[in-house]
Amino acid sequence: MKNIKYYAFPSSVKEALAVLLNKKYKAMALAGGTLVAKTLPDTVETYLDLKNLPIKSIRLHGGNLVIGAGATFDDIDRSKLCRGWAGGVISAAAARCSSQLIRNMATIGGNIARPHSFNIFPVVLLGLDAKVRLQAKKGARLVDFQDLYTSGLGLRPGLDSLITEIVVPARTKKWKCDFIKLAKTASSWESYITLFFSAEKKGRSATQARVVVGALSPRPFRAPEAEKAMLSGAGGQAAARALAAELEAARAGEYRSSAASSLFKRFIEGQI
Amino acid sequence: MKNGMIRTNKGFFEITVTVNGEKKELSVKNGEFLLDALRRHGWKGTKKGCDTGDCGSCAVLLNGKPVLGCLAPAVTAHGGVLTTIEGLGTVHAPHPLQRAFVEAGAVQCGFCIPGMILSSKHLLDRTPDPTDAEIRKALDGNLCRCTGYVKQVEAVKNAAKRLKAKC
Repeated sequence: MKNIKYYAFPSSVKEALAVLLNKKYKAMALAGGTLVAKTLPDTVETYLDLKNLPIKSIRLHGGNLVIGAGATFDDIDRSKLCRGWAGGVISAAAARCSSQLIRNMATIGGNIARPHSFNIFPVVLLGLDAKVRLQAKKGARLVDFQDLYTSGLGLRPGLDSLITEIVVPARTKKWKCDFIKLAKTASSWESYITLFFSAEKKGRSATQARVVVGALSPRPFRAPEAEKAMLSGAGGQAAARALAAELEAARAGEYRSSAASSLFKRFIEGQI
Repeated sequence: MKNGMIRTNKGFFEITVTVNGEKKELSVKNGEFLLDALRRHGWKGTKKGCDTGDCGSCAVLLNGKPVLGCLAPAVTAHGGVLTTIEGLGTVHAPHPLQRAFVEAGAVQCGFCIPGMILSSKHLLDRTPDPTDAEIRKALDGNLCRCTGYVKQVEAVKNAAKRLKAKC
């Protein structure tokens, strides 16, 4: 941070983008700053503080849940809308991340723009089929969450574009979801394994299933074979085997793969 | 731009911030965090513990919310309102929370207490009658190595009662 020459405090997304895209400034956007304030690259010369941007609201729009990228973990934890969505999994994810002092500062936008493998929101939002609104030079784009980290996107949030909101589709409102975060303590920021599940039961099999794995690879990923096993009603053992095979393919490591599949089996047996 | 863009001048940024009710012009070093800037300017009630965002002893209220002084760059306070432990009460006229901490025996070495009291103040500002669970959640970022937190929880509950009676 010693190379910083300017601090910018934009009050609109347009102003923020103007600084971000002006090569003279070599700017980097910082939201809560909890993940990156101490590790700013030396090449950054302008600290672009996003705290004054009007992107903090949590609201319903067209039946979808829209979370402003500047909403803090604390805002999300306390939001009635988030608590009532998908079994409260979004609020629970915020509440179980680190300490209250961090939750007061950290934002959902920052958590997904700087995706450490152990971050919680990329896992939950991928499981909820969320979309992300990105503001870039050519205007706003609504991007599927699963495309956010792919090179095909052609944008690097925080460096040449800004995440302004996260849109969680209306169809997920009644989904039964849960997640398991295996970490040193209940509120540790860094998890060893994060698993997100969602399943709708009809008879013995599931009508809808989502399995997302986090912390075992640089980016979270869905486990389609495990989802198929859940949908076919093959039972917990078979679904856990399918997940284990997918984790092995992702080179997740023997111990963590084994632990993740066991946690998954327990979840299925409790749900289906 | 609101509060505009500020530029470094010989390694320092000039910021305007209200600290404990007084508007101040502060020079903060390039790369300096809020904790270090506050202590350098004399607000030494803000304690330097882990310096990595884990212990909470550096907590201050920025625009009413407790934040970690060791993780917030000092310049981010520009245009804001800061409350440190010095702004809460004095030896002769302590804040009800400070009085409750003393009376409950919640202070041993005392190093974590400024952060803990500021976190508690924020809790009571928005939840005047907190449950034990709410108190423990609000204080989960303030580590105390002397006690088992029982006395602090008791102190916050007593302060809540006292503040309620005052209203």
